Amino acid sequence: MRGVLKHIIIVLLVLSGSWTLLKGQAKGTFEVSHLSAISSGSADIAPVIMNDGILFCSNRKTNPFMTKKNLDGVRLFEFWFAPFDGNGDPSSPRRFAPGLVSDANIGPASVTTDGNTLWFTRNLSEGRRLGRRQSNPLGIYTARRSGSQWTDITPFEHNNPEYNLSYPYVSADGRYLFFCSDMPGGEGNYDIYMCEKLEGQWSEPVNLGPEVNSSSAELHPFMHSSGRLYFASDRPGGKGGLDVWSSSLAYGSWTTPRVLDEPVNSEADDFAFYAAQGGLQGYFTSNRRSFNDDIYSFSSTIIRWSACDTLQQNSYCYEFIEENALRQDTMKTGFRWEWDFGDGHRAVGITAEHCYAGPGVYDVTLDIVNLITGGIEKRQASYELEITDIEQPVITSPETVRAGETLILNAGATYLPGMNIERYYWNFGDETVATGLEVSKIYELPGKYNIQLIVSSKPDAGGVVREVCVCKDIEVSAK
Amino acid sequence: MKVTRKILPLFLFILYAVPAGMNAQEVPGPDENIPFLITFGKEGGVTSWGDDDFSQTFFFALPKDYKDPFYIRVYDPDTGGKTDELNNFWNTRMMYSIYGGKGCYTHEEANGISPTGNYKSGTLLATRTFGMDNKLDERWYTFGPFNPADGEYYPKFLSNIFKIVCDGISGDDGNLYRYAISRRPDANVPIDGANAFTYEYTFRMWNNNDTSFVSHIYPFIDSGCVYIQMRNFDWDDDGDFIVVSVERKGQVMPLSGDDVWETSRMPILEGEIGKSLDFRFYKKKGDLVRNNNVVISVQNQYGENLPFFSAPIGGVPVYKPRIKVVPKK
Repeated sequence: MRGVLKHIIIVLLVLSGSWTLLKGQAKGTFEVSHLSAISSGSADIAPVIMNDGILFCSNRKTNPFMTKKNLDGVRLFEFWFAPFDGNGDPSSPRRFAPGLVSDANIGPASVTTDGNTLWFTRNLSEGRRLGRRQSNPLGIYTARRSGSQWTDITPFEHNNPEYNLSYPYVSADGRYLFFCSDMPGGEGNYDIYMCEKLEGQWSEPVNLGPEVNSSSAELHPFMHSSGRLYFASDRPGGKGGLDVWSSSLAYGSWTTPRVLDEPVNSEADDFAFYAAQGGLQGYFTSNRRSFNDDIYSFSSTIIRWSACDTLQQNSYCYEFIEENALRQDTMKTGFRWEWDFGDGHRAVGITAEHCYAGPGVYDVTLDIVNLITGGIEKRQASYELEITDIEQPVITSPETVRAGETLILNAGATYLPGMNIERYYWNFGDETVATGLEVSKIYELPGKYNIQLIVSSKPDAGGVVREVCVCKDIEVSAK
Repeated sequence: MKVTRKILPLFLFILYAVPAGMNAQEVPGPDENIPFLITFGKEGGVTSWGDDDFSQTFFFALPKDYKDPFYIRVYDPDTGGKTDELNNFWNTRMMYSIYGGKGCYTHEEANGISPTGNYKSGTLLATRTFGMDNKLDERWYTFGPFNPADGEYYPKFLSNIFKIVCDGISGDDGNLYRYAISRRPDANVPIDGANAFTYEYTFRMWNNNDTSFVSHIYPFIDSGCVYIQMRNFDWDDDGDFIVVSVERKGQVMPLSGDDVWETSRMPILEGEIGKSLDFRFYKKKGDLVRNNNVVISVQNQYGENLPFFSAPIGGVPVYKPRIKVVPKK
């Protein structure tokens, strides 16, 4: 573990340790909070949810009289567990499974869905001193819950003293294991690898390839149940330092990683992103506040209505019926009904259909022609037809788009008379949002997305803000 | 044919609804645009001229409050001269008989659909027979004065009813004529609220081939009427017959050929109850049929005859289109 921790520490030292304000929370996708209840003056990193609390790593001082440090003088990392309080917030942490390791770093962990297997990072050698020139690579281990104890510590079958394996994350179904390694043959530095469990055995590690990995470090993989892979990387294009990136697997290929927006990412190091099942809240680590790493929680600020009206298409088409004539035997009438729809179009028949170009007031008149004499009885009936649009926000966009292509969505046709509109808020149905009269969106994955357009008014004299929502499905096809 | 009085309960109110000053007492009425009534001499029994029974009966209804003497006038009562229809030579005699008193209207055989039995029921108030008389050619002959009280009071109509029967008692020429009731003997001065009606209309069509010459007759549709059955005779396929009402814009009905009856049935719409229908007869535009004389009568579903009023009850029905607009999805 020393190598990776060293790497992290170097990053911490090199990159700015200055405070980073939580910029743009109000307008961002997430809002974040510093978990002061579990913070220490040391590094607190890599939180994961386990049962009714969060498990994280910390190198905080636990014994005022004795401190275990590595050869670089850095205190060793240990597991800590902070149970949720009545409000669901992590409370004062306590050491977790102290017997898992002795005299070695123990690092980021992953817990299987049933909570009975712990995957964690640890130095391959423990409990014995190594010389300063001797390497002690990191490896991945599992431990099984046995009552309140964690036993049966087992090294991962692909651990190798020649390189590091670390940051394990086991998928929710237990079928895939993601981890980081600097094993030869990668894209450079640390890469993310994946093993698949086949017939009880883990397959050979597979590098996720250049779509995900880069010559920079890729760390802390987290595969959310939604199918999106989050990881940390200090690659170019981020906000600064380590940033959280995401990519999705589509048709066997990983989509181009996209860096998460502020305030999850900042100019400081932001990493070890972990989202709860719904994806709307979770935790990550950042050193934006101080020199030390701290754990932050995030929650989505995405507005999504649970009951949003489906966008109704304005129809300017009507059927015109001469009701009295309809009751007659039309085959024996001696007259012909001629409609003037008031927009320059005419039609013949006791019933007629017509589509107008748009809203307006139309003077519909009915002439009746005597088929015997040829005489025309003008304006035998008239109807003032007022066509208005449906009062609703309107999403104007194509119905389909290819993944990776830019979709333009426009709310300009919104018809909400009397509403002093202040904001057009778009929820693209994939946990991304935007604001504006016209916005663009690129979907990475094929599928059907339910887009919501939420229109908000300026506060009225009483401070009341009116909001209206419509939704529309967009079909995203494969590239 | 039996006349059933029960079909006319609305008349008692509606008769008085005829606008004052309306020239309702001339037969045919101005709204009917019919040039003449016609009755042929019965000699030879030839019906192909357009008269099925050589007799025509009309009734005049005078409001019960009208107490003054009145006159029944006949235009061109003789048979001969410019107006009438000649067959070989003028040999026809027409007998006009005016009846009042009990049974003149209410007698079951009084309607004149079929001039048999006691169709001349009631008290004979006046009668005169005309042959060819140049002095009366295209002139009015006046019967009366009559006392309104001498009619048959019919409570449902709130009217005193008089009946005039024109019989072609000899010869075979066609007598073209008109009627009027009047306050005065020397001019047609209308009686407010009076009207005239018949149960079988025998009349002359216009000779003009201009189809703007459309004739009308106005049967009244009483409550309970589900459908009507129309019978027309000897129309010679001369044009078009359509029915117009407040809810019916021109339903085409069949017309008869030469010397034959045509019977057709038409359901009555709810909005037509208590109103008059407008039977329109358009002359054929292409082929000119001259001197076309025709007969028409109407029954309801019970076989009860419906009256044609010279001044349509409730006024001339005007069709009112009703527009309904339905948005389409």
